[in-house]
Amino acid sequence: MITVSHLKKYYQRPVRQEGFLGSVRTLFSTKYETTQAVDDISFHIDEGEVVGYIGPNGAGKSTSIKMLCGILVPTSGDIKVNGLTPHENRMENARQIGAVFGQKTQLWWDVPVIESLRLFRDIYKVSGAQYKHNLELFNDLLDLHEFQNTPVRQLSLGQRMRADMAAALLHNPRLLFLDEPMIGVDVVVKERLRTFIQQINHERKVTVLLTTHDMIDIEKVCSRIMIIDHGRIVYDGNADQMRNQYGKQRTLVVEFEEHVPDFETPHAKIVKSEGRKKWFAFNRFETSPSSLIAHISTSYPILDLAVEEPEIEAIVRTIYQGTAEVA
Amino acid sequence: MDSLRLYFKLIRIAFQARMQYRADFFTGIIGVITLNVVNLGLIGILVSRFNNLNGWTLWEMVFLYCLWILGHSIYSLFFWHIRALEDYLIQGTFDQFLLRPANPFILFIGREVQYLGLADATFGIAGFVLAYTNLGLHWDWVKWVFFGLAIVSGTLLETTINLLVACVAFWTGRSRRVGGLIMQLNSMIQHYPMDIFGTTFRVVVTGLIPVAFMNYYPALMLLDKTDRLGGWGWLSYMSPIVAILMVYLSARLWNFALQRYSSSGG
Amino acid sequence: MKIFWAFTRQAFHNSVVFRVEFWLRFLSIFLWMYTIQWVWRILYTQRPGAFGVSLEQMVTYGVLGMALETFMDVGPEWYISQQVRTGAIDTDLMKPLDFHLHMLARSTGEMLFSLGVLALPTFTVGFIFFGLQMPPTLEAGLLFAVSITLGFLVLFHLGFLLGTLVLATLDIRSIAWAYYSLISFFAGQMVPLWLFPPALRAVAEVLPFKSAYYIPSSIYIGAFTGQEALQAIGFQLVWVVILTLIARWAWSRMDARLVVQGG
Ligand SMILES: Nc1ncnc2c1ncn2[C@@H]1O[C@H](COP(=O)(O)OP(=O)(O)OP(=O)(O)O)[C@@H](O)[C@H]1O
Ligand SMILES: [Mg+2]
Repeated sequence: MITVSHLKKYYQRPVRQEGFLGSVRTLFSTKYETTQAVDDISFHIDEGEVVGYIGPNGAGKSTSIKMLCGILVPTSGDIKVNGLTPHENRMENARQIGAVFGQKTQLWWDVPVIESLRLFRDIYKVSGAQYKHNLELFNDLLDLHEFQNTPVRQLSLGQRMRADMAAALLHNPRLLFLDEPMIGVDVVVKERLRTFIQQINHERKVTVLLTTHDMIDIEKVCSRIMIIDHGRIVYDGNADQMRNQYGKQRTLVVEFEEHVPDFETPHAKIVKSEGRKKWFAFNRFETSPSSLIAHISTSYPILDLAVEEPEIEAIVRTIYQGTAEVA
Repeated sequence: MDSLRLYFKLIRIAFQARMQYRADFFTGIIGVITLNVVNLGLIGILVSRFNNLNGWTLWEMVFLYCLWILGHSIYSLFFWHIRALEDYLIQGTFDQFLLRPANPFILFIGREVQYLGLADATFGIAGFVLAYTNLGLHWDWVKWVFFGLAIVSGTLLETTINLLVACVAFWTGRSRRVGGLIMQLNSMIQHYPMDIFGTTFRVVVTGLIPVAFMNYYPALMLLDKTDRLGGWGWLSYMSPIVAILMVYLSARLWNFALQRYSSSGG
Repeated sequence: MKIFWAFTRQAFHNSVVFRVEFWLRFLSIFLWMYTIQWVWRILYTQRPGAFGVSLEQMVTYGVLGMALETFMDVGPEWYISQQVRTGAIDTDLMKPLDFHLHMLARSTGEMLFSLGVLALPTFTVGFIFFGLQMPPTLEAGLLFAVSITLGFLVLFHLGFLLGTLVLATLDIRSIAWAYYSLISFFAGQMVPLWLFPPALRAVAEVLPFKSAYYIPSSIYIGAFTGQEALQAIGFQLVWVVILTLIARWAWSRMDARLVVQGG
């Protein structure tokens, strides 16, 4: 469905010049700074896969998705989306993909949602029957009818995201690109959108590429993950390893009464120290927090504690380091 | 043809969006009318006190002003937001124009409308009718056709000049201030007949930033004053051609800018 | 006095002296000065010495009108309306400072800043290229200084009222633009009141707006001298007092409303 080989995107920015007529000089300046946003990545995605595309901020996720959409032209390398090169056949490609960029809506701000959808129907030349059928489906799965006559600016973030999702799928795209679609959405709506993505994937065989910073998204909907960091893919594989890591790793944050040196603890490792606080990483199947606390408190008096679930970045790091060690 | 259909649909939505702010509508109309009345009032006082301005009588000046405002009204109805292009670029909303299977320019142009143009149009028509009667004009069909062409050319010229300037934002990120300055030049032209100015100025507004073709030159033709140009009388017929030339130029720049946008990421 | 200076310095820091925009503003001022002086020159070829004013005086009047705008155009209306609508006005109200005085200090600061940075070069260019002349006598110069100060106070208070009474409650930019063009018209910024048709002139003569441009400029070019100049300044003074009173009253009402509604 998607084949990407040796894809690169380097951003070049003229070095901004301050001072009198600075921006005029910037216009003619020959000094550039280069950001290697995507730096030689290759992958292949099959029809029907749901791929989690994850990595820290600035890793190059949005940049890659924009290239897949044909908005950006690659610096070098090859992209084939369902046989098309996106930036060369931008319009044809646009018909077979749907995209949601969580940060900004693609709907008309001041008119009811349904008007935006009608317009998309015209832009994509969706047939009357298909439009009707899809609206019914979205009503079922997303409760679109609850707010379809409300202007977008009056929608809650969760409603807006549901509307955006509907807009992206109105023309039955073969592929769906979701760039942080869950941003700012509460737990209930998140759950709903996840179920929706799964259903769309199962019933219509839509291939999904999902960018997220939320571990649970990966756990629940992705069959495969790709981790990108500094423009390079550092992990590509089954999502199970990720799930296992997430399942077992926890962190105990302990604030001591006074400054203490690092010390050895069975089944746990100090991963971070800050003032009187220390972070102990442990595997929750090897040891329980209570025995860990009991052990620590025999050595030093404790002021406060908390158990943290790992953040996605931390897991990414462990996986990354793991593969790096193997390699 | 498809593009045109799409454009009308977009415009319909844009109007609907505008109508959400109905209170602004009336104050806006009042504001624009006042502005125009004051502008013309000043000219009116000057010309009536001194009889004429370099051979231009009161009603000829009104005609000149209204010819401009008629073209301008269409521009401000449909193309006003070209100057806001930089906002689309900065906020990243420009991306969605490239995400659709449709012409990005149509999508951009159809995104907004500005009802204030309606006030300009009303004012322009009223002023034109008064000027036409008071000047005792009796046009043949050639003049009427040229009049129509002149208005459309005026719209196109203002639109393309603004588009050319707005496209600079693809490189510098900002362009609106420069656009503002050019529109100052523009408003001087709307107020006063260009022949009162010095040669350098005339060359600039004819050849470099062709705002003089929006009303001054066609007005000379329509008012039978082409002899004021001496050997350059043919310039008064050139508005449509200059407009087409500008459309061509700005289309080239737009396409070039789009390429640059998609290779640089804006 | 220290607070005025503080605002001047702040305006300097916030300013965009080193930006393209700043230079574009100059260009647009010059363009207008260029236009105005051409218009008067052309008109005067038809009627030299029209209405008892020489061409040199008239060109000076026109160019001066443009040059004065560089530092007279610092009304507090946008600041006030923005603060009220965003609720940021609370921070202003918490300052141990009378709000009206605070705004006056702010606008004066900006005015002094513009005077140095924008007006000085503009006047210089006006003198060299656009036929702007010095006041004929020292007396005229001094009276002009007094008159322009009063004119500034009138404009400031009109802006203050516009901000508190209209813009704070409604976001109607277009009304503001209409207001500006009306002010410029009745203030005689481009065309002096003596050219107005009688009925219009009668109206313009009693309105406060002429304090901003017409009176100072007429004194500057020597059209108003002696008794007449003093009378005109008296007129300005009366309006400053009246407008100050209205502005303080309007603000006290606004203040009460803000306290009740919590901004
Ligand atoms: N238009 C641009 N011009 C120059 N540099 C850019 C541009 N867009 C992005 N970058 C840079 O390219 C890199 C990758 O950006 P990108 O937006 O792809 O990251 P991301 O993985 O989507 O991050 P996030 O998780 O924050 O959304 C960053 O260093 C960013 O600063
Ligand atoms: Mg991103």
